[in-house]
Amino acid sequence: MPLSASEQSRYHRHLALPELGKDGQERLQAARVLVIGAGGLGSPAALYLAAAGVGTLGLVDCDRVELSNLQRQVLFDTAAVGRLKTEAARERLLALNPEISVIAHTLTLRAENVLEVLRGYDLVLDGTDRLATRYLVNDACVLLGKPLVSAAIHRFEGHAMTYLPGRGPCYRCLFPAAEEGVVGNCAEAGVLGVLPGVLGAIQATEAIKIVTGVGEPIVGRLVTYDALELRFVELPVTHRADCAVCGEHPTITAPRDAEELCDTVNLDHIRRLTALALQDLLASERDSAGLVLVDVREPQEFNTRHLQGARNIPLADLTHRLDELVGERTPVFVCRSGRRSLMACALALRGGMAAPAHLEGGLLAWAADVDPAFEVAAG
Amino acid sequence: MSCTVRIPSPLRSYTAGAATVAADGGTVEEVLASLERRFAGIRFRMVDEQARIRPHIRLYVNTEEVRQLSQPVGARDVVHVICALSGG
Repeated sequence: MPLSASEQSRYHRHLALPELGKDGQERLQAARVLVIGAGGLGSPAALYLAAAGVGTLGLVDCDRVELSNLQRQVLFDTAAVGRLKTEAARERLLALNPEISVIAHTLTLRAENVLEVLRGYDLVLDGTDRLATRYLVNDACVLLGKPLVSAAIHRFEGHAMTYLPGRGPCYRCLFPAAEEGVVGNCAEAGVLGVLPGVLGAIQATEAIKIVTGVGEPIVGRLVTYDALELRFVELPVTHRADCAVCGEHPTITAPRDAEELCDTVNLDHIRRLTALALQDLLASERDSAGLVLVDVREPQEFNTRHLQGARNIPLADLTHRLDELVGERTPVFVCRSGRRSLMACALALRGGMAAPAHLEGGLLAWAADVDPAFEVAAG
Repeated sequence: MSCTVRIPSPLRSYTAGAATVAADGGTVEEVLASLERRFAGIRFRMVDEQARIRPHIRLYVNTEEVRQLSQPVGARDVVHVICALSGG
């Protein structure tokens, strides 16, 4: 469709670029781009794509806006707290650019719906915070032959890479497998608010380049960004002949849901101890002799302060070190908030341990209820 | 022989937050052993019991991907450790 007078004015600075021009702007107008995750990455990516005039913008998210999102998720304002992200984002994007369409997909992507959702788009941006979704989206893009611009963040570091069907490696070529708990998670470890701004803007840049056919996308090139040192590093990534989804003999020929750890074990078998209950157990010589305290935090957190007699096995190492805990003593897992220790219990159950225990509420609860002087390191 | 190793964000809890550390060794295996001596436990986060690079980790010497831990490392080389990130 030809650009209207108001669109010619709105997109004037694009039209002034010979590389984009009228043809490029019309391509953007005709494009359908899906942004997965209206979070730290999805916020700047969606804002820039809306501003750039991408004609149809889809947003996938099932969460509601929380106050703790606002430090980095610039799509939302304080009044949006409590609202569905997709709805609040749609309003914000249409307020920015009423010439485009915004489609809200308020759902969780699963094997049964991912192809249907992605099929309606030309290009996908992955800004999810779940590894299982990263692999699901990658596999669906490979199977459907859709370009995928992927990015991820942790604390002060970010990654970005683009997959183009038939032209280079996919996310599984980059990292054939990864498990939650083994890699960094922002909710636990924190993230610099402006970091996803850089990576999300890179994703939007890639999307605009692919749609308009200008420039060279980061295909087969992993871009890493370290905000603390303000350093970009580019590393080559090659297609893997043995990739499970895009290799020569793929074993993944349809989308499949990754097994969630907590779905594979019966959580009723986990003994949940309050801080006061753990204190009682440790005070009793008979009871404490039957326990082994295992602190699953990172070494730096452990070294700041830990419970007397606790040993440190970071959660990421636990699967491979479970045999150290085989014996007559019951492991009691502890961490900062109780989240990692619960995952440790699930891993221990999956590894065949009978009745692992964990400190509910973590060492924060210990500090609140038992020992106010106990200093709990930031995660 | 000393090289520079760039540590990914999820493993910096082993290096007291340091993004860049020095290590000794003429091969990747020796560099990892040198890291392990200073930062106990870090090697196991990168390679498994069979000394295979973990599937969520990539190692590079400068810009060359490491496929064998016997790959040579020279003085002034930079070993990049890349770890999958899950945040969005």
